[in-house]
Amino acid sequence: MNQYDVIVVGAGHAGIEACLATSRLGLKTLIVTTNIDRIGYMSCNPSIGGLAKGHMVRELDILGGQMGFAADKTCIQYKRLNSSKGPAVRGTRVQNDKHEYNKFMTQTLNNQQNLVVRQGEVKRLLLDQNICVGVVLDDGSEIRSQAVVITAGTFMNGVMHIGLQQSPGGRIGDKASIGLSDQLREFGFNVQRLKTGTPPRLLNSSIDWSKTTAQYGDPKFFPFSLRSSDQFELKQVACHLTRTTVETHEIIRENLNKSPLFCGIIEGVGPRYCPSIEDKITRFSDRDSHQTFLEPEGLNTDLIYLQGISTSLPEEVQYNFLRTIPGLENVKIVRPGYAVEYDFIEPTQILHTLQTRTIDRLFLAGQINGTSGYEEAAVQGFIAGVNAAHMVLGRDEFILNRDEAYLGVLIDDLVTKGTREPYRMFTSRAEHRLVLREDNTLDRLAARSSKLGLLPAVDLAKLNLISDQRRDLSSYLKLTKIFPTQEMQQKLRDRHLVVMTKSLTLEEFLRRTDVTPEIVADLGFTMNLDPLVSEAVEIEVKYAGYVKRQLDLIQQSKKFEDLLLPEDLIYLSVRGLSNEEIDKLSKIRPRTLGQAQRISGVNPSAIQAIMIHLKSRRSAKENSFESAGRNNSPDQLAN
Amino acid sequence: MISLGGSRDSQTICAVSTPPGYGGISVIRLSGPLAAATAHRCLHHFPIKPESHRAYYGLFFDPTSGQEIDQVVALYFANGRSYTGEETIEISCHGSPIICERILKTLIEQGLKPAQPGEFTYRAFMNNRLDLVQAESVLSLIESRSQKSAEIALRQLEGDLSFEINKLESEMTWCLAHIEAGIDFATEGLEITTQNELVMKLSECLMALNILLSTYQKGKTLKDGLQVALVGRPNVGKSSLLNLLLGYDRSIVTAQPGTTRDMVEADVIFEGIRIVFQDTAGLRSTSETEDPIEVMGMKKSEAAAKKADLVLFCFDLAEGWNSTDEQWLKNLSPQNLIFLGNKSDQAESAKNSSLDAEAVMKKLQIIPDISKSPVLFVSALDKNHRQVVMKSIKKAVSVDLQGEQILLSHARHFENILKAKTFTEQAIQALYDNVGPEFVSIELKEALISLQETLGKRFDDQIMDRVFKEFCIGK
Repeated sequence: MNQYDVIVVGAGHAGIEACLATSRLGLKTLIVTTNIDRIGYMSCNPSIGGLAKGHMVRELDILGGQMGFAADKTCIQYKRLNSSKGPAVRGTRVQNDKHEYNKFMTQTLNNQQNLVVRQGEVKRLLLDQNICVGVVLDDGSEIRSQAVVITAGTFMNGVMHIGLQQSPGGRIGDKASIGLSDQLREFGFNVQRLKTGTPPRLLNSSIDWSKTTAQYGDPKFFPFSLRSSDQFELKQVACHLTRTTVETHEIIRENLNKSPLFCGIIEGVGPRYCPSIEDKITRFSDRDSHQTFLEPEGLNTDLIYLQGISTSLPEEVQYNFLRTIPGLENVKIVRPGYAVEYDFIEPTQILHTLQTRTIDRLFLAGQINGTSGYEEAAVQGFIAGVNAAHMVLGRDEFILNRDEAYLGVLIDDLVTKGTREPYRMFTSRAEHRLVLREDNTLDRLAARSSKLGLLPAVDLAKLNLISDQRRDLSSYLKLTKIFPTQEMQQKLRDRHLVVMTKSLTLEEFLRRTDVTPEIVADLGFTMNLDPLVSEAVEIEVKYAGYVKRQLDLIQQSKKFEDLLLPEDLIYLSVRGLSNEEIDKLSKIRPRTLGQAQRISGVNPSAIQAIMIHLKSRRSAKENSFESAGRNNSPDQLAN
Repeated sequence: MISLGGSRDSQTICAVSTPPGYGGISVIRLSGPLAAATAHRCLHHFPIKPESHRAYYGLFFDPTSGQEIDQVVALYFANGRSYTGEETIEISCHGSPIICERILKTLIEQGLKPAQPGEFTYRAFMNNRLDLVQAESVLSLIESRSQKSAEIALRQLEGDLSFEINKLESEMTWCLAHIEAGIDFATEGLEITTQNELVMKLSECLMALNILLSTYQKGKTLKDGLQVALVGRPNVGKSSLLNLLLGYDRSIVTAQPGTTRDMVEADVIFEGIRIVFQDTAGLRSTSETEDPIEVMGMKKSEAAAKKADLVLFCFDLAEGWNSTDEQWLKNLSPQNLIFLGNKSDQAESAKNSSLDAEAVMKKLQIIPDISKSPVLFVSALDKNHRQVVMKSIKKAVSVDLQGEQILLSHARHFENILKAKTFTEQAIQALYDNVGPEFVSIELKEALISLQETLGKRFDDQIMDRVFKEFCIGK
């Protein structure tokens, strides 16, 4: 008998979204964490969002996730990144009070219906052949369930490095979990090592702030969440900028032999895109300075996070080089920087639902799949939770496409291409970037969300209202004309705008680079100027040409993206494939021809070969139908 | 399309690779993992482990009946060292269709599969021995009708065009990567690249693309031949001129105007270049004829003249230039033109030694913008005049294949490069307009798609189908 419908292992950013999704879908859920005080803990930077990451947080929010709301609530600085660039590559980032964040998430979980939070360490999975039926805890107790979601983060066989000293653990103050990844390895999973690092935490009062440059957030708040108000709940604070010096680099260079990264102790691959300061100095040896931000970890804490200076050098070396940085001459380290090595499951072993290929009812999400970042973890947790729930409930799989959401891009990349280094999301990973903007998140995902049913009714109503208002404004702009009357031309001249040469629709008029919705309203037209409404509409209007091109490209790729590959396709029998291609295709088993195309090492000729094979399969089937007296159906593949 | 069933690594195919019919020798090609094992069974003295690139002499026999078929030479290429990239054997037998058929039949009985059209080249493409551009060049090489067209096909097979396109692709990828890094690492405080650097690099790419595009006319001409239309009023001697230029009688010549009602086409190789002449129906003033067949013929003439690379506008020196000539010249307004004044032997004026072409043309009051076109006075009956006209034709279209110049010669390549050029221009414009890096990026991506499609680096079923269906069996 099942004690729970779903068990979630780990209460980090992935675990939270997973357990909230399952319990909100009405399933009796257990979440097991090794440390009940660290639910939704920000182990690294006290910040959420950023380019592409901010996109994902918004997508998650529209679908009914929790991260965006929590980030808004605990925001102590808000910024829209790349605001000078185009709308598709702007991203929202907030600094957070990490203790408030942790507190808020703990309360959310404790107050959630259908959810039980329990402290303990999962040692093993309960398996019935290749079906996961529950977990075994460190006290020996067996808990049964219909599905298990593992979100173990950096904890599986985690080893921390400070200088040449090592200690087991997934995070300072928390022990590693031993056993789980060994069991998976024994079952035949390809388990590899990755590495990540975190910078030292400094004592606020030991910093000479006068030598640093204050960086303030934006005054106007565009919260992540539909549910948040556009007023800050907490006091807003500044971050401070300073730079490493030539002396800093010298000290680090002299001590590279004490860095576990450089003397070969660490085997795991580190994130290329979030390098340690040792890495930066070696790789960019021509630069004699790197910028670093001093970020407060909260309003009521003395801890300062030193963004950009992750290191695993010994503590005394950290002291030495930090004190060569302006403002840090007398700095006190509260907690030194360190590196963590951990086990991850090579993600081509999981499906788009995040269920493993080999063990049924077992789902993996977050850093265990080789990703880096809270946001990447959270969205996977959500997808894994939803699919675990759907499996239990007998509903369809929930898979987002690459042209729908960054979530879709993330998971498709992981399960198709795998990863050898911690995977971080970038806008450039999304080939349909121009249509995957922050501003149109709700337009893209409203229908999906409403069908999914995780967004409370009141939020869904709000979402639909905004959608309707956007549609109304669009059609108003299309249908309303602006005429170059003398009066109008004078108004334009008064506002130092170029006069009109002919009458235009407001849509055409708004396409001008010097015209904004505010100007249109100011010229006497009734416009909805709520930025939630007008901004998205303006972007659609201004970039319509590019957006259309992108949509055309999506349409072209649809042919392959929509072509589902039969589950019983035997690649060995497809003529024209090389052994390497047969191997990769058999392992990854792409869902669609489009996915097959993205597998590295699968050549265009292989796609040709698969298509020919499918055609012949089809015609063979049709022939047999024919002989049975049935009509020939048109060959869909030929199109 | 190419055959079905079995994996690429397991099937061995065979086909006669020489044209059908009787000849000195014929070549039968085998490709696939069983090539050597099969040859070992069917050929005396062919070892189990042959040496790559070595010829083996022996008797080919049917191992089932033991019956000997022919004395042959078998050339062995090891796996990875052949045209297709697979183990390959080329059997040269005596050039009789009967022998070829018997050898082929034996091979098939031994378990080999008959090759589909283009399958050897298709396998070479599949095995990454050739890119799409090179695969197309194989076809061009086989089909080449002149020395020059063979030369450009060979260069293309050797990869000169592929190299150029790959180079452009890598330049543009560099630009794209730097633009993307500038977007995604905007907060890292790094100066990734400057707008100037990007504009400079892309302008260089654009220039290279433009140079490639500018070679298409010439490349196409060298590959397919130069299309030359002979036009003029009836009975000015177009057909005689055609016969002169061909060096043999192709058109029927009568004193009756309007003998050539339909078009006559014939080609000749001149100094390595194929020249295709079209003798067209004579052009009358539209009021002169109501014969519907003749009107139709004239319409065709007009179309041919408009399509041709070069127009030979023929007129009768004895009769002189008249308003019908004038009318048609204006009507056709050809880009590339040579005036041929025929019947110089009969013309009074031509006998006059002081006659020079310019003076005549001035008198003829030719439209100024084509007055720079060469004017030749010839007699179709004088065989010595052939060389002069042919040289002028070649000069007028300047189709010499010089040095190492890379030429575009396929319409498909031209279309793709043209697309790449347009997108590159738009990318540069977007940089100037400062519309944002993500929009520059979309232009560059589309430019890259066009380049990659040219080489077959991206999958497009229609392109592949089109390329490979043009092949015959055995290639």
